Amino acid sequence: MLLRLLTAFALLSPLASQAELVIVASPRSGPIELSREQAEKLYLGRTTTLADGTPVKLVDLPSGTTRDEFYLKLTNKNPSQILAYRSRLVFTGRAYPPLAAESVTEARQWLADTPNLIGYLERGDVTGNLRILLRLP
Amino acid sequence: MRQLLTTLLLALAAGSAAADAPTRFALSGFGTLGVVRSDKDDYHFRSSGTQSANSPGQNFDPSVDSVLGIQGTGRLHDQLDLTVQAISRQATGYNYTPHITWAYLRYRATPALTVRVGRTTTPFFMFSDSLNLNYATPWVRPPSEVYNLNPFSDLDGIDLLYRIPLGEMDLEIQGLFGNSAVSARSASTRLKNAKGINFGLVGSGFSAHAGYARTRLELQWDDGFYRALSNLLTALDEKTALAELSGTKGTTEFFSAGFQWEKNNWLTIAEFAKRRADRYINSAHAWYVTVGYHFNSLTPYATYSQQTQDAPASDARLPPVFMPLVNLYNAPRNNAQHGVALGLRWDLARNIALKSQVERIDAAPGGRGMFPSDSAADYLKPTSPVHVFSMSVDFVF
Repeated sequence: MLLRLLTAFALLSPLASQAELVIVASPRSGPIELSREQAEKLYLGRTTTLADGTPVKLVDLPSGTTRDEFYLKLTNKNPSQILAYRSRLVFTGRAYPPLAAESVTEARQWLADTPNLIGYLERGDVTGNLRILLRLP
Repeated sequence: MRQLLTTLLLALAAGSAAADAPTRFALSGFGTLGVVRSDKDDYHFRSSGTQSANSPGQNFDPSVDSVLGIQGTGRLHDQLDLTVQAISRQATGYNYTPHITWAYLRYRATPALTVRVGRTTTPFFMFSDSLNLNYATPWVRPPSEVYNLNPFSDLDGIDLLYRIPLGEMDLEIQGLFGNSAVSARSASTRLKNAKGINFGLVGSGFSAHAGYARTRLELQWDDGFYRALSNLLTALDEKTALAELSGTKGTTEFFSAGFQWEKNNWLTIAEFAKRRADRYINSAHAWYVTVGYHFNSLTPYATYSQQTQDAPASDARLPPVFMPLVNLYNAPRNNAQHGVALGLRWDLARNIALKSQVERIDAAPGGRGMFPSDSAADYLKPTSPVHVFSMSVDFVF
């Protein structure tokens, strides 16, 4: 019974969807290299630069399935764990939260226009004016 | 302090007006609304030495955990920013009056080196920098056996943070220097020339902390037990013992170490802390272990925690007939106890967590643990196990 409930819950859960996510930046950013480990460090506020020392800024999508799935894939933390973790960074002044976009369209616009700005999108939302840095299958 | 704050706010206003995109000024807040009650009428739970002993007629006491905090952060320049945080909570000396907990300028000299000047927090514990931010942790509050070993939280001074990559992890070394003051229950007390060093190791799902601090301690007791004993010592002409009750010549050392580990939804947090004082207060050590499990939005957890006294506040050796008075003086200054807690965190919505916790606490002989009283009679009775029930809502905005 418990197992069936859990299975049902997993199927209903938005986290179970399987869209491919990618981390992107503007082609104007120069030759950016981004490893999965560095991406995790950036989004967990442990660093503000790329491995070569280039400072970058981050974009967050609005609350929802894509954002939750991104953090789960990259950091293995569910939405409440991420919020709790990040609140500690913010309320000790240690790190700024990423810039919060109000829609995928806005995030895409910012990312295309701004050098050294990094964000994540579903693979299907990536347009030609963006460069894919990392895939999160 | 007020003048410093005004200057900082003016600097912030000027900075945010001048800076072009991306102008970053952020205002955010957090809070807890919580109630605590014990199953014994004459045992009022107090998580910190800054909370007064009495709360007559209150069954569900909101004063232990409830807190509201507001924080503003402004980026003045790419390498320079300002953080100001104020909180309101019930504590001796500022009953819900807003109190500045952070007011510092941070300068990122290099990507590895950061300097902070102003008011920061003492880094005595693993969760020192977020003591009022219950939303960030699974507990209703950090385990009091460890966290009440040091009531000082403000640090007015300077610190340096240096970060070095260490394989897949980052090592952060912090050196600090400053002063601190706090109005505790029946005492006003100060740390002068506090010097400390801290090591923080952060990896994926793992972090560890170790720190050491040494500081001058000034402390003036003003409770009835103190007056009784100091009158007696004066009458007996016990100058040395008298000088070791209250004054400006104390030295204390503080050590703590801990880790957090999260893997496959399991969560483990453990911490050890020890304080050694040459006079005025007792020496004690404490530790806790918490194990929890993330089950979607529910996180049940269990904690075992313990505080042990190493040396009493006063070691005055008097004729046997007077020793009960020395023991009565030492009893309220000994918070030794051990407890088992079972709790549940429920993330019921984004930014809101509901928590509940039941603890069974046994005060160690020679004190009442974290259930202070102003009545001598209470310290003469044998203690018995107490159950403490806590419920709270934590939020961030």
